[in-house]
Amino acid sequence: MTDLLVASGVSKTYFDTVANDNVVALDGISLSIRAHQFVSVIGPSGCGKSTFLRLVAGLDRPTAGEITVSGRKVTGPGADRGMVFQEYALLPWKTTAANIEFGPRLKGLPAAERAAITQRFVELVGLKGFENKYPHQLSGGMRQRAAVARVLANNPTVLLMDEPFAAVDAMTRQRLQEELTAITAHERTTVLFITHAIEEAVFLSDRVVALSGRPGRIVADLEIDLPRPRRWDDMANDPRFAAYRDELTRCIHGKS
Amino acid sequence: MSIVRKLVTELLPFVVALALWQALSMAGVWPKVLFPSPLDVAQTFVTDIASGVLFVNLGVSLRSLLLGFAVGCVIAVPLGYLMGLNRASRDFFDPLVNLLQAIPGLAWIPFAILWFGLGQGAVTFIIVMSVFFPVLHNLLTGIRMVQPVLIEAVQTLGAGRVAVIRHVIFPATLPNLMTGIRLGIAFGFRSLVGGEMIASTDGLGYAIFNAQQYFQSARIVVGMLTIGIVWLAMDRLILRPIEQRTTMRWGLVREGLEQN
Repeated sequence: MTDLLVASGVSKTYFDTVANDNVVALDGISLSIRAHQFVSVIGPSGCGKSTFLRLVAGLDRPTAGEITVSGRKVTGPGADRGMVFQEYALLPWKTTAANIEFGPRLKGLPAAERAAITQRFVELVGLKGFENKYPHQLSGGMRQRAAVARVLANNPTVLLMDEPFAAVDAMTRQRLQEELTAITAHERTTVLFITHAIEEAVFLSDRVVALSGRPGRIVADLEIDLPRPRRWDDMANDPRFAAYRDELTRCIHGKS
Repeated sequence: MSIVRKLVTELLPFVVALALWQALSMAGVWPKVLFPSPLDVAQTFVTDIASGVLFVNLGVSLRSLLLGFAVGCVIAVPLGYLMGLNRASRDFFDPLVNLLQAIPGLAWIPFAILWFGLGQGAVTFIIVMSVFFPVLHNLLTGIRMVQPVLIEAVQTLGAGRVAVIRHVIFPATLPNLMTGIRLGIAFGFRSLVGGEMIASTDGLGYAIFNAQQYFQSARIVVGMLTIGIVWLAMDRLILRPIEQRTTMRWGLVREGLEQN
């Protein structure tokens, strides 16, 4: 299979106004991601994993190296790289349905088609009955479901997720993780997922890339060969899950 | 909340204030000419409504106020978005705006009279100068407060600059714009009354000033109350319904901090 997303020698240095010094956030990251894969990037705080995601999204520019998606060099944000943020980032002045419909509307799709897409993704993320609610009327978990649906409805080449479940409670988080694996498997979505939670990365991913502390360099790159669909109840007793988790923990924390 | 209860909540403050006023005037501490009673004021109200004087003055004042407000907004709102969204225009206009901001609208009266002559033209001009700054200042604050993550999120959905402005910047700045409009109208009223006292021969401000010359203290209060009632009507009939349908509905602004 061909590589959908290719990062070659990507570095990012930025000027820290507090420290009054240049900080190397990422140092020569090269990474290729195949279509339909769920790839997580993990690492300690400040390792530059979110920086990497922002570079892929085109929200920041790399200091060196380049990123291509479907063979096209990333020069700015675009609809082919939809992003889900930790803080949901739904538009407060749009209802659930209008938020989900936003991308298709920008693309100029006809109303009937937009309505069909919206309906499909509202149902896919389990928000039926909440179409006409505003974000402030939804729970945290529902808001993140809506944010995921908003990006999926726009049919991106790759779904970018920046610690999307960090702000919800533990029980909701597990449910959202199970729903996400089911949805992305069903939709065959290519996902680049950022997290600092090792178990979350193993649970969700086909492949986990671990970064070292600042400056971020790749210290592990692991295929996760676990059966799908995945459920937390099964994982708890699966020795392979524990083995992956322990190996990644060792790589990140440098313990042997 | 039932309609009766809503009505009581709404009217109670006015009834209490009125009763207090009546009691104070009945105590007879001050002569009537210095402290007119609610009854005197009500009588004058009826007289001035019947004679049509009140409506003529109100019409003149409202026309100046609304015209001044509209002109002030038509300049301030586009300039605010331009300054908020464009570095070069911000660098250029910000020092000028700051220089002029501290100058009260009323300080423009001498020039207003020289340029427009005595009358509502001069009054309208100083209203423009009073409305402009609070609207611009609050709008700029609103633009600075837009969450970057909202802009980034819609950019990754394919939004270009125009779509970002339309779907993020405009709605996000609405709460602050509404605050600017409220302050703008309030400042506009101040300048209206002050301006009419000095630079005009009609309008509510002039009527208040003129009544004092003839010791018609009840008529002074009629003018003052009319301004209050007009503002209250604008707030309840126009501004609040707009907010209830927009910023409050979106959860950006709440009535108060108490939980429902």
